[in-house]
Amino acid sequence: MPAIIEVHSLTKQYAGRTAVEGLTFSIEAGQCVGFLGPNGAGKSTTMKILAGYLPPTSGTARVNGFDVFHQSIPARQSLGYMPENAPLYTDMRVKEYLHFRGALKGLKGKALIKNTDEAMEACALTDSRRKIIGTLSKGYRQRVALADALINRPPLLILDEPTNGLDPVQIRHVRELLAALRPASTILLSTHILSEVEHACDRVLLIHRGKLRADDSPRRLVNRLRAASDVHVELQGKGNLAEELSKITGVRKITEEKTDDTWKRFTLRVEARADIRGAIFDLALQKKWHIRELHRELPSLEDVFVELTSSEI
Amino acid sequence: MRILSTLFFKELRALFFSPVAWVVMGLVMVINGFSFRAAIAALESGPRAGSIVTWTFNSTWFWISYFFVFPLLTMRLFAEERKLGTFETLFTAPVHTWQVVSAKYLAAVFFYCLLWLPSLGNFALFQWMTAGATELPHGVLYSTYLLLFFMGLFNLAAGCFASALTSNQIVAAALSFTISVMHFLLGIFILYLGRRVPEVFVDLVYYIASIEHIRVFTSGLVDTRILVYYGSFSLLFLVFTHHVLEFRRWRL
Repeated sequence: MPAIIEVHSLTKQYAGRTAVEGLTFSIEAGQCVGFLGPNGAGKSTTMKILAGYLPPTSGTARVNGFDVFHQSIPARQSLGYMPENAPLYTDMRVKEYLHFRGALKGLKGKALIKNTDEAMEACALTDSRRKIIGTLSKGYRQRVALADALINRPPLLILDEPTNGLDPVQIRHVRELLAALRPASTILLSTHILSEVEHACDRVLLIHRGKLRADDSPRRLVNRLRAASDVHVELQGKGNLAEELSKITGVRKITEEKTDDTWKRFTLRVEARADIRGAIFDLALQKKWHIRELHRELPSLEDVFVELTSSEI
Repeated sequence: MRILSTLFFKELRALFFSPVAWVVMGLVMVINGFSFRAAIAALESGPRAGSIVTWTFNSTWFWISYFFVFPLLTMRLFAEERKLGTFETLFTAPVHTWQVVSAKYLAAVFFYCLLWLPSLGNFALFQWMTAGATELPHGVLYSTYLLLFFMGLFNLAAGCFASALTSNQIVAAALSFTISVMHFLLGIFILYLGRRVPEVFVDLVYYIASIEHIRVFTSGLVDTRILVYYGSFSLLFLVFTHHVLEFRRWRL
């Protein structure tokens, strides 16, 4: 697969403050990449550089083989960019705006009409096509901006917080829409909602203080970076349960939680790769304990996010 | 070219859909009426040198309409985009900065030309009322409107520049008004000094004094030096505007 985004030691400084420092990565066509990082990490800056809005201070960025600074127009032709907070002309009607944007991106005649209708259809805007953008709610404005980004069906979509401010139903809708675009388009999206990245993306770029801190699939990232996972078990039986459980290999720590009845609930912190559920079951069978709950809690991307970005390095 | 026309029509649409443009048009028509009435009054009071056109555009009323038109037509061009944040969507579409600047400028110029059309009706009406008894020199009409067009080019370009500098439309309007008025006053001020300054200086000032330009053109003379002066300064302000917008893309 050819790389659609190639970024090489990209650095951006604003008036002495470094927003992005030595960023290097490449994204292959067809991937969906989640761009994560706390506020002010440099996500939006990187996206603005890729979209050709800001120049890099040093380093290079290429989109679809075109340098975003020196070959800005062809680079911009191959991407659809949705800025943060979806800025739109508030005095235009939805269809009129999309028509205008389509024409700006080089569509004409029947293709312009067809693509406008399809973009409205995809973003569930057909019923609101005659509404003035200024009167629309935040969710609808986000959809208009998204329709704008994909109107000329660019090979690359750069979406800066596309689900920011949407309600759960709308978020699900956007997720489905992105999934539908997947085979044809490469998507780079930034978001704060980590579950979204876990669902939609096959790769995560995590940046913190302008530097790339992690680059992997969400699943592998979690496995690689999280040292331990938790196993919850609820037991009933005689003897010192906690002591017996602590003898199982791989268990680092046991905490006992209170329950309402005679059952006892334990949380076992175990090493990441060890799965001790089988061992617990065997032990319960041998000691004639009753089990009513046994499950392993996998570490989430959120844990990784916090772990990687809260530490001072 | 297609992108230019798309941007141009979007800009025109924004002008026609905003109340400001219609208010400006109404006010200009009212004030034109006043300056026309002043010209008739002057001609009625006795034999005068110059035609009805000369007297219309040399009245104080004309200068009142002249100064408030430009800030109102240009203030929102760039300031509004900056405020709404649509600069980002606009400049991440495959458009060149010069296309954006030209489209917005041309839309303002187009509307400015429309503003002056009703005033032609005054002269047609005048000729009809007097049954052709008074002289309406066509040459003077052409030269006057030619100058109005070029003075418009200059002031609208200055207005574009002012609008590109800020995200606040009021600031843009104030700045554009200041540039227009200062340009006008600079010309007047030196005309007042008259013969107390060296001759060369007076010659130089002739290029700046709008009031003098109006006097020359409304008497039917076409001085191309003045047209070149206004034309080149318009271009200069448009280049400034372009640079202000491109500043964000400078590698500092």
